[in-house]
Amino acid sequence: MSEAMDAVIDRTVDGIAASRPLVLALVAVGLAFGITSILVVASGKNPFVAYWSLVTGALGSTDRIAVGLNKATPYLLAGVGVALAFRARIINIGGEGQIAVGGLSASWIALNVATAPALVHVPLGLLAAAAGGAVWAALAALIRLRRGVHEVLATLLLNFVGVLLVSEALHGEMGEVGAGFPQSPLFPTSAWLPKLVPRTDLHVGIVLAVATVIIGHVLLWRTSFGFRLRLVGASRSAAAYAGVSLPRSFLAVMLLSGALAGLAGGVEVLGVHYRLIEGFSQGFGFNAVAIALLASVSPMAVLPAGLFFGFLETGALAMQRAVGVPSPLIFVIQGLTMVFVLSAAGLAAGARRV
Amino acid sequence: MDTAAIEFLAAALRIAAPLLFAALGGILSERAGIFAVGLEGMMLAGAFAGVIGTHVLDTVGGGLAMSMLGGAALGSIVAVATVRFRADQMVTGLAVNILAVGLTSFLLRGLFGRGEAPVIRVPILAPVPIPLLSDIPVLGPLLFRQPPLTYLGLALTVPLFFFLMHTRAGLTLRAIGENPEAAFAVGADPLRVRMIAVIAGSALAGLGGAVLPLQQVGTFTDAMTNGRGYIALAAIIVGRWMPFGALVGCLLFGAADAFQLRVQGLRLPVSSYVIQMMPYVVALTLLASLGRTARLPAAIGIPFIRDRH
Repeated sequence: MSEAMDAVIDRTVDGIAASRPLVLALVAVGLAFGITSILVVASGKNPFVAYWSLVTGALGSTDRIAVGLNKATPYLLAGVGVALAFRARIINIGGEGQIAVGGLSASWIALNVATAPALVHVPLGLLAAAAGGAVWAALAALIRLRRGVHEVLATLLLNFVGVLLVSEALHGEMGEVGAGFPQSPLFPTSAWLPKLVPRTDLHVGIVLAVATVIIGHVLLWRTSFGFRLRLVGASRSAAAYAGVSLPRSFLAVMLLSGALAGLAGGVEVLGVHYRLIEGFSQGFGFNAVAIALLASVSPMAVLPAGLFFGFLETGALAMQRAVGVPSPLIFVIQGLTMVFVLSAAGLAAGARRV
Repeated sequence: MDTAAIEFLAAALRIAAPLLFAALGGILSERAGIFAVGLEGMMLAGAFAGVIGTHVLDTVGGGLAMSMLGGAALGSIVAVATVRFRADQMVTGLAVNILAVGLTSFLLRGLFGRGEAPVIRVPILAPVPIPLLSDIPVLGPLLFRQPPLTYLGLALTVPLFFFLMHTRAGLTLRAIGENPEAAFAVGADPLRVRMIAVIAGSALAGLGGAVLPLQQVGTFTDAMTNGRGYIALAAIIVGRWMPFGALVGCLLFGAADAFQLRVQGLRLPVSSYVIQMMPYVVALTLLASLGRTARLPAAIGIPFIRDRH
């Protein structure tokens, strides 16, 4: 009996090890939706009705699609960065803080370089955003390299500090007087990210994001930097033996990852809100980690994974309005999907080792 | 010592209590070789289950039992994924943290609020002065006029230390965290021990989460643990994976937070947001100053694979 069980488990493990990442990702998402439908039933709603309203809410009109693409944009940008770091087995969970500081830097440029023409103002804002995010990630990287504090803890703790920095700025000199909510004044229009399609919400950020995905892919597979990352990820001792400097690779990929997260923050404030808002970065960093995982840490696959998360979010809000199923359900779907993907990856790695 | 100082230290102890349960639970898990990044989610699940349990069962005891079950339920997911399926421990912890935020927020609205987030009030456990001892100057008001769960957390530190360092089971657990192959060779079952350690630890973390609503706030709010699980994780490292060390770590973070609250009350010209950064900055500084002297259990993060053939 137990031997028969073992044989079944062995076959499953071999199957998972041999499956393509795409199949695994789809199965993981499907399983997550299946399990969460129990919750939908428990709350007294019909899961088919709920999920259908989620789909129509996400893709039902060009306006909805535009909102979904805008939502996906920061996830794609930050997700590529996390995926590249993951490749070197470096876990950057500091996306939220890096996005917050990036948005803060972009907002400062938007509000204080008010006379610049748009052609200068927008790129300058985005550049500042990337720099802000990179600095925040570098801080965590240095704490790791110099003092040996694991990057998961360093980036996590810096998230709280980064988010509080935004609050500090908004309750201080960057806040709008009499707004009743912690937010900055509206940016001058010269700092607004241009629209991609007129008369919709869709801004050019998505183009930037798709370009970043492609560049990330090329960087990983076609450059010596990417090769070094993969080498460090595959075996740190082999990388060291081959003369790859671990600290330098670590710092480089954290800077890149942080810059992309910062850029995501910049795109969000300059493209969607046109102002800095308290809590605008909430959950973004963790989403980026989930997306990178779902994409099995391949930058190219971040594109579908990031779009999926973006549409999932707009769909969930629509589902809440239409059917009354609370939108936090999507965090359950995201969390479960991650657990399934991680388990499958763990099984596959173990199967290869045996 | 003047009353203000005693009040400050008492506040530090009060804030440290939920952290302490989580840190003790995390020690069980990490000493057995499994990173406890999921403490945050386990605390949140415990906080939620504690409030719902108290509300539905109408007893605090029921709420506390539910909080342990809530934490353990989430811990079982971590245990199965990391031990049986060898999933990455850090990221699995993060995943269940996201899962816990979603699950608690969803259930709060879906089961109890018809779509809106309801406010479920529960009575707050009042301080229980211990006769005679509470009359001791300084120590009395500090240590012996605390609410019940604070006593429980402090008291748990002793048996946990004894279990880890002076029992056979504790030795096996530590051996599995250092060298599971060797432990396996002498007849221990690393997979089983790790599963039990993670689940038991998460039940403790769940109890720690329940301290927040049942002893401090009086209700459950979305994501109310607000990073305390990560602070508890830092306290474990500061305390070098020892129960009394973790207690000191939790007290340090409790003091940082109490100081932060106190300074805010003084209306100094320093912004409250900068002051709120204190606990996190203190945690980072402490961890950084420990530097590389903090030695992790040797086999932590590495899955144990039993030969299949």
